[in-house]
This record gives sequence, C-alpha cells and structure tokens, in this order.
Amino acid sequence: MLTCKGLTKSFDKPLFQDLAINLGPGQIMAILGPSGCGKTTLLRCICGLEDLDQGSILLKGADVTATPPEDRGIGMIFQEPVLYPHLSVSGNLSLASESGHQAALEEVGLGGFADRSVETLSGGEGQRVALARALLAEPSVLLLDEPFSALDAELSMRLVEDVRRILKERMCPAILVTHNQGEASTFADMVMHMPDLH
Amino acid sequence: MGRLRGTLGSIAVLTYLSLVMAPVALALHRIISVTGFTPREWIQSLSENYISAGVLEFTIVQAACSTILTSMVALPVAWVLGRYRWPFEPWIRAVLTLPFVIPSIIAAMGVLTLVGVHGANIRANEATWWWTLIASHAWFNMALYIRFCEPLLSTMDPRLEEQLRLLPNGRSRLSRIRNLWAPLLMPSIAAAACMTFVFSFTSFALVRWITIRDDTLESMMAEVSSSAGISGYMETSSQIVMGASMIQFTILLVCLWLTSAIQRNRQARLRLSSPRRLDSPSWPAWLVLVPAMVFAISPLASVVVGSFRIRDPTIGNSAFRWGLDGWEAAIHGSFSFPPMSNAISNSLGYALVALLVALPLGYLLAATIHRLERTRPLLSRALDISTMLPFALSAAMVGLGVLIGVIRLNPQSLYQFWPLPSLAHVMLTTPFVVRIILPALRSYEKRYEENAMVLGMGAYARFLKIKLPLMRGPLVVSSVFVIAMSLGEFGASFIIARNSDWVTMPLLIDAWRAKPMKDPLSAPASNSIATVLMLITMGLFLLAERFRSDRQGGMF
Repeated sequence: MLTCKGLTKSFDKPLFQDLAINLGPGQIMAILGPSGCGKTTLLRCICGLEDLDQGSILLKGADVTATPPEDRGIGMIFQEPVLYPHLSVSGNLSLASESGHQAALEEVGLGGFADRSVETLSGGEGQRVALARALLAEPSVLLLDEPFSALDAELSMRLVEDVRRILKERMCPAILVTHNQGEASTFADMVMHMPDLH
Repeated sequence: MGRLRGTLGSIAVLTYLSLVMAPVALALHRIISVTGFTPREWIQSLSENYISAGVLEFTIVQAACSTILTSMVALPVAWVLGRYRWPFEPWIRAVLTLPFVIPSIIAAMGVLTLVGVHGANIRANEATWWWTLIASHAWFNMALYIRFCEPLLSTMDPRLEEQLRLLPNGRSRLSRIRNLWAPLLMPSIAAAACMTFVFSFTSFALVRWITIRDDTLESMMAEVSSSAGISGYMETSSQIVMGASMIQFTILLVCLWLTSAIQRNRQARLRLSSPRRLDSPSWPAWLVLVPAMVFAISPLASVVVGSFRIRDPTIGNSAFRWGLDGWEAAIHGSFSFPPMSNAISNSLGYALVALLVALPLGYLLAATIHRLERTRPLLSRALDISTMLPFALSAAMVGLGVLIGVIRLNPQSLYQFWPLPSLAHVMLTTPFVVRIILPALRSYEKRYEENAMVLGMGAYARFLKIKLPLMRGPLVVSSVFVIAMSLGEFGASFIIARNSDWVTMPLLIDAWRAKPMKDPLSAPASNSIATVLMLITMGLFLLAERFRSDRQGGMF
C-alpha cells in the first residue's frame, strides 16, 4: 500500500540514506531513534511537506514523490495538536469532513465536545480532536509524529491502545515516530530503528 | 510604597483631567454659551451653510475610498513582508512604515512635488486632485496594515497551514485562504481598516494642500474655529464647529471602540504564534515589494530633491535649475518668515516640554489603570476609556480648547507664555504613552518582582533595578512617539500659535508653501524645512525600531 524506496535526505548533515519502508493495509510501523536523527523529517518527506534529495514514494502503486502534500491523501498528526483557534471542535472537524463529527468524537472518547472552543481543551483532549479530524479525512496512510509524548503516562497508554484499535478497525496503515520503546512495541506491528548518521 | 503609589496615581489622574479634559470642557462650555444647547441646529448648520455644505459627505466618502484603496495596496505588501525572509529586512520594514510616522505636512509637500509641474504635472487637471488625495492616504496608512497584519503573518505557526494542506478542506489555495488565513487575519485587517478610516477622516494637511477647495470636517473646523466662541460675532461658526465636533466625535468613538474590541479578539489568537518562518521570497513577492518600496520612498525623496530644484522664470515657466537658494531662504528667513533655526528651536523646545509632562503623566496613568484592574476593575475601565477620548477629538478642537482656556484664565500673560502650544501637544500625545506603556505593564511578569523580593530588594530598588530596565523599550518607543508627534503636530498648533515667535517647523513649512507660487523659492524653501523635519523624524523612529519587540502588533 505504501512503498518507500531509497529515501535520502540531508540538511546541513545527512539525516537518512537509502531508507526503505513497506506497509500493507492496516499495518502499523513504529520508528525509533534518538533526538535529531531525522524521524520527523522522514514523516514530513513521506507526506510531502519536505522534498526528498533522492528516493521515491509509491501509494497504492502510484508514484506520489512529486505530488503536492494536499493531493497525496496522507494524514499526519503532529507532536502538539494543531487545532485552529478561530474554530470550535466541530469547526476543526469540518475541515476534514462536513458530516460524522459526533461519531468521530465518540470514537476518541470526546462525545459532547463538538461545540467546545479548542482553547479550553487539555493537551490530551486536543490530541484526540486532532486524531478524530485526521481519521475523518479517511487518509490512505496516517503518520503520527510523537503525538503521545506530551501526555501523562496513563493517558498516553490509553490513547495508544485506542488509536491502534481504531486504525486496525479501519485497516489504515500508519507510521508512528517515537523515542519510547514501550509505546512503540504496544502500538506497532513492527519497529524500525532509525540509524544516527552523524 | 502602596500609599505613595496611590497618591501619585491620584495626582496623575487629576493632572490629566485638568490638563487634558478641562480645556476641551472649557471650549465646549464657551461655544455652547454662544450657540445655546441646540444639537439639532448644530447638525443642520452643517448642510445649511456654504462653508460646510457637503463637507460631511466629502469626509466620509474620501475616508471610505481611502480605506478601500489602502487595503488593496497594503495587504499584499503585509503578506509578502510577513511570509518571506528578506535581505535587509529591518530596513525594509522601517522604510515601509516610515510614511505613517512622517508628519502629514511633509507628505503633502512630497506629493505636491511629485504631481506638480516638475513631476507628473497633473495638477492643472482638477479631476486628479481627488485621486491624488486618496492615493496619498493609501501611502500614509499603508504602515497600519503592515503593523497590524505582518506580526501575525510572520509569527503564525507554519504547522497550521501544513496541517490544513493534509486535510480535505485545505487542499486548494483558495480553501486555505477561506479556512485559515481569512478568519485569522480578518480581525487585524478590520482593525487596520478602522484606523485607516479614522486617520483619513481626520486628515488635515493632505486635504488642505492637495484638494485645496474641498475640506474634511477637521480642516473645515481649523479654518472656521478662529471665529468660534465669540458672542454676537459669526455665531454660525460656533454652530458649525459644534455640529462637526459632535459628528466627528461620534464616528471616531465608534471606530476606536471597534478597533479596541477587534484587537482584544486578535490578542487571544496571537498566542499560538511561533518564531519567524524562513522561506526565501519568490519572484511574484519581489514584484509586490519593490513597487511598494518605490511608492513609500517617492514622496519623501521628492521632498529632498524638491528642496534643490528652483523654478527659473527667466528661462520659462516650467524650466528649473538646481541650487541651494531654497535652503538659503529657509535658513536665513525673510521679512515675512523667521529663520529655520527659530522654528527648529521652538519645535524641539515644545517637544521637550511635551515629553517632560506627557511621559511621566502617561506612565503614571498606565500604572494606575493597571493597578486598579485587579482591585477596582470598573474604575480602571472608566479611566482606560477616558485616556482614549483624545483620540476621538480633532486636533482643531484640542487647539480651540487651549485657546479658549487661555481666554478664560489670563489672556494677557498666557499669550506671552511660550510653552503654551506644548499643552496641546501633551493633550494629543499622553494617550499614546498610555497605549504603549499599558500593554507592557500587563505583560511584565510577576515572577520578576517576586524573585527580587526574595532576594531582599526593597520597593525602590525593585523599581530602579528591575522594572525600569525591563520597561526601557516601551519607554523609549513612547518617548520617540511624543517627540515625533509634537515635532510634526500641525492642526492644533495652527490654531494656538498666534504669536509669530512661536512658529514651529510644520507652521513654517505651511507658511512658505502658502506664499504665492510666483516666488520661485516658495516650494524649495518649504521642502528644505520639510527635509530637516523628515530627517529628525526618521532618525527618531529608526532609534525606536531598535527597541520595538519583534512580535509587537498594532500601530504603535
């Protein structure tokens, strides 16, 4: 479903070189690595927010390497939830889909939050709204950039389990970037260690 | 220390009320005693009198058109300035915001030189006057959009757009504008538009010099106010001044209230900002910025060039030569005009007096408002609003207030009292000091104070060693504002400075320019004084830029 070949990227220093990733429907991969090794940049390259130096990305057999991020159909959840302060929770969800808000919120355990202002949400609630929104968009692949790292241990573990269940139910492949070994093994079907090239 | 603060605060409030509000109250009392309390007749007099007929319509229509044109010109500039990282960026920002801080009479001189006989030569066609005025207002107010919108654009978290690009309703550029940029920028745009409307509505020097026969309420009031407030003499003037003041006060108050409400909304949204983005400008961005820079610089450069260009009637009416004659005439003066040094020393003196009064007064008022916010919020709000009222008053009304106050108190000695024009400058600049200092006091972090306390520092030591150094930036910026506004103040000084020894730089510029153009030195001499005033103002604001926070939004 998602095939990445020969991914290479460097800024001032080489970040990753000749990297390959293969994900089938519903498969979840975790990428582990020390800070600064290029995990976040890898996700940004896969969804198209950064350009690769070399390599290709194929989604459902089609080469999307040169496709703009908005046309790839790849979703991403950032380390801190990116919610739009001028919109309510429901308004934020409507950026992904005009319907299905209630069900999406209930799926992430936030039923009744639709009319709340996003500025009143806690970190965990905000991350759940970001997740609900990402899933409402029905992405072909979901990328998660350490979305649980800022949460307390109990909430983080609960969310890890909930998100995995939802992704598996939808058969949505996903890549989680984390530096937490336990989180990676609970969440993912396979774990890739990102080499530190510098 | 608490009691001392309370006493100082009370003194500041009383001083403000007597210095700033009392002259206006005296002016109103005086004029009402002439006309009687007849608001309906005041308003009616505006349309019934040949002096004021059509002025309100002209004022509103030109202000609305100026606001629309300014939005069209300035928004793309604010966008490219905020979204890209430019070489020499602080200089670019300083140049683009310069028109707003340059005294309007210099703007008028610059524009006249550009469109005059040695420039585009379109003055002969009266149909061009209207558009010249609207374009001048766009030039003058462009900085407002940059000040209001650029900080939001440059510090907006780039992930907001990145995230949206990955969502179905953010895939097209149009949908991102609709769902992200428009709603987040709208408060800033609306606030900038409100203030542009206010400044165009109260335009004086530009209207006086560019459209000549048309007036705004402000310029009309300045013209007729010399005959207002005198019993049994041209009572219509008093009625016109009251009608115009009432309408202007109401419209400006609504605009200022709107701006304040919009800005509160905007502040809440700015919290999600992050450091500047680093994208290099694309070629369409250069196509926006370069013409904007030319637009910003041209009138200013033309003032300098115009000071050296002398019309030479011996060769022909439209021929000119280069020379220092204009500078010499301005420097030495003539039988009719004092030398430039007199105007410079008067202007600097008035600015210094205004600074010595307005800065401590504004600081104490801001500190009092801030202190009352916690203990007596309603009183604090009332004081906050009262410090904004002078924004809604016309400079002409302020000048008239001082003049009538003088007549009531002691005309003989006060007409010999050289610092009198400073009083009007204090009235007009104190609100700016409050508006700059108050947000700084609000953002002053309590932990600095608490940490100094546990280090054993007393109240005075905390004020001198902690608070004052941390407040240095806002204090410098507000000082610069007071000096620059005082130096460039024209409307109130035009009414108050009846003594020829009190002539200021703007008044001397106006006087030279008002001389019949048959004299080939009229324009170069006025341009040379304008050049000096412009250089002083530019120097002051370049200094202020060094102390301004990068994330600071708003016009000040």
